[in-house]
Amino acid sequence: MALTTVVRGRAYDWSHAIGRGAATGTGFNYIQTMCLGNDNDLYTANRGNENNFGMRVNRIQLGGAGEEELMAEFFQHGEGDGKATWPFGVAVGKDGRVFCSDEWTNTISVFDPNGKFQYKFGKTGSGDGELIRPAGIAVEKNGNVIVVDSGNCRLQVFTPEGKLVAQCGKAGTGDGEFNQPWGITTDKDGNIYVADWKNHRVQKLSAQGKFLMKIGTYGELPHPDDAYAVTYLGPYVSSLPESHYPKAGLLNHPTDVAVDTDGDIYVTDWGNHRVSIFEADGTPLTNLYGDAHVFSKWAKQSVDANPDMMKAYRRVNNLQPLWRFCFPTAVDFNPATDEIIVADSQRNRLQVYKKVRDYQDFQANL
Amino acid sequence: MASKDDIGLMAHLMRRAGFGASRDELEARAAKGYDATVDELLSPEAQPAVDPYTLLRHQPAALLPGGQPPMGNVNYMYYLVNTKRPLQEKMALFWHHVFATGNSKVDNYDQLLEQIELFRQHGMGNYRDLLLKVAKNPTMIFWLDNNQNHGTAVNENWGRELLELFSLGASNYTEVDVREASRAFTGWTFETKLPRLPYGRFPWKFEYRPEDHDDGEKTFLGHKGNFNGEDIINIIVQQPACAKFICRHLYNFFVADEPQVPAWQIEAPRDQAAIDSMCKVFIESKCEMKPLLNHLFKSDFFKNARYKHLKSPAEVVVGTLRLVGGYELPKPGYGELSMQPSYMGQDLLNPPSVEGWHTGQEWINSGSLMSRINFVAAQIGNPDLPGVQAIINRLKAQGTKTPEQLVANCLDLLGPVEVGADTKKELTEAAKQWGDISWDNDAGAKNATQRAAEMLQLIAATREYQFG
Repeated sequence: MALTTVVRGRAYDWSHAIGRGAATGTGFNYIQTMCLGNDNDLYTANRGNENNFGMRVNRIQLGGAGEEELMAEFFQHGEGDGKATWPFGVAVGKDGRVFCSDEWTNTISVFDPNGKFQYKFGKTGSGDGELIRPAGIAVEKNGNVIVVDSGNCRLQVFTPEGKLVAQCGKAGTGDGEFNQPWGITTDKDGNIYVADWKNHRVQKLSAQGKFLMKIGTYGELPHPDDAYAVTYLGPYVSSLPESHYPKAGLLNHPTDVAVDTDGDIYVTDWGNHRVSIFEADGTPLTNLYGDAHVFSKWAKQSVDANPDMMKAYRRVNNLQPLWRFCFPTAVDFNPATDEIIVADSQRNRLQVYKKVRDYQDFQANL
Repeated sequence: MASKDDIGLMAHLMRRAGFGASRDELEARAAKGYDATVDELLSPEAQPAVDPYTLLRHQPAALLPGGQPPMGNVNYMYYLVNTKRPLQEKMALFWHHVFATGNSKVDNYDQLLEQIELFRQHGMGNYRDLLLKVAKNPTMIFWLDNNQNHGTAVNENWGRELLELFSLGASNYTEVDVREASRAFTGWTFETKLPRLPYGRFPWKFEYRPEDHDDGEKTFLGHKGNFNGEDIINIIVQQPACAKFICRHLYNFFVADEPQVPAWQIEAPRDQAAIDSMCKVFIESKCEMKPLLNHLFKSDFFKNARYKHLKSPAEVVVGTLRLVGGYELPKPGYGELSMQPSYMGQDLLNPPSVEGWHTGQEWINSGSLMSRINFVAAQIGNPDLPGVQAIINRLKAQGTKTPEQLVANCLDLLGPVEVGADTKKELTEAAKQWGDISWDNDAGAKNATQRAAEMLQLIAATREYQFG
């Protein structure tokens, strides 16, 4: 796809990639959610696999292309305080506390910014304050923690110490109802956005949990029979131009949502392997499909250390499958840098785009 | 209400054409009728497909699992346990037996899963079309070295196995035919794959390289021409030996145990008339699998073949998990669960060789038998699992049980399982130690539940339970 996408007064430039596949250390292992910290840093919750490899939250110091650094790893697999079975959600409070959900033990563990365990709350069940498969987490301006109580198809709000404050939502397809929701974010006004995963939409709620708006209807991207399937569930790479893809607005199991400082909304359209962008009122704008033409710093280290890999790359006919998103799970907007950060989960990397404020179109008769 | 024999026959059908069924399902199907159930099994598209997204939400590493177990097995087991299209999944397993391709060489579980998906999508279609798709399947091409089969340097691995193990069987072709078939498949290869580092696995893509194809004249099974691979397949499927080979495979998989494939050239089928009738359908339908399966499942030779087939490890494990329930969603430990068939001698996605697994009695040795019994007993003896609870609730509803009734009812609800007189006597003697059991009061109910679970475990440990 194009490295620069221009649409209705906006321009999005692909910037760089971060990460590589790694069960520990400098890389990721199936990011489920992520959250920007307070110091130009990013926390990612990695699911790992059944060999109990890779499960962790890692903290990455962000910078320009190639300036990222791994700062900490915690919430690895294990039993007891500070350990996880199935890490899922991560969110950071203004005071630096890091909240992490474990969707198997149905608890929220709380850490300091360096990953030192503080305390945890939550228990299994469907009663008030109880959780089933907690997924995404967001921290409100007042410090309260909104937990996507996915198995109970609701949101629950807790004080930072874990006392239940409020809840909203129930299982269903109606307004304000959910079906296994995944990611969550808030905007500058405190409104809440939830990726209503199995209802194939994003719902916007007021800070009090009142339904305001929904975005998206179910749709899968069509693909010709001879398209190259990057996995047996896509993405599919074909010679068709981008215009043959449906416009934004169709969603297939959306996983996360972010809102930028202009109010534009970014949705990881997981099953369609793209990020769909909407105006604040839900009007579809465009899609990003993944454009990682350049290896990340850590990825390049892997390739440099394995010369056969580069030999193979030089023999490949079409590198587009390498560039494309594959089941993106999370998206954040960094207001300090105008960057859109996408967790490209199956590729164990982040792809970073920049929303360009002063984009000037080029002379058309070049 | 369905008769006991109707239930027994339906249980037989569902064990063979699927992975067993609960008593509730058996009764519902028996009420619908045997032929109607076969028709339904032959129309998998009428049932919902397995939801892969739920698997990937909770076990994302199951999509591109790379070369190390168990994530590939987790993916496969999730489909086997959750399918509502049992015959489609059983046929995919059948073709995995026939077109045996293994991770030991491929080192890409993702590619093997893609091949299983090919079997799922096309395994109940036309055999000729499937064979062509398999010939173009990059995983198979790599497994049998056809990417090293060049116009100027022929590699016969694919050509040989195509004839010996995938279509005709030994003694139905000559060495010259192997050579000529191999020449016809020169240039059938795959594009260079995106390497696994640093972003994980990418799939192969079939590629035909005309400049690497031997365009000369070939003589194959009496036919002469400038053949390409597709021509070879078209000639193969016209051979009477092809029908015999595929039908005997199906008979061995679905009806009754046959000797191992290498012995087929010297040992006659155990039921030649059955094979002949199947061949007739196969030939008349021009290699369509559905008419053949329809004939097979509605035939007397199938209906009369109860307990003449030793369950494969996959059948043991999947059948048990579907019976006891509680494994529909991914959960921690699913990896270990998905490796259970391997511990019993059937490493799914990694057969021992291109010949596939030896079946029948060869599944059993002292170690694999213990693995089978221990696994099934652990599951079936757990009254917390919903399927076990359902069995116990049925026993409970029938009231107080004498030892004889406990044995008879457990045998009935667990299959029905048919056991010999000696086995029944031993089971009854065990039950007699417990006396009558009843759920009339709390203390009695606890004891009765425990005893019922123990009886189910004892039945699962019998010789007869290993047969399906």
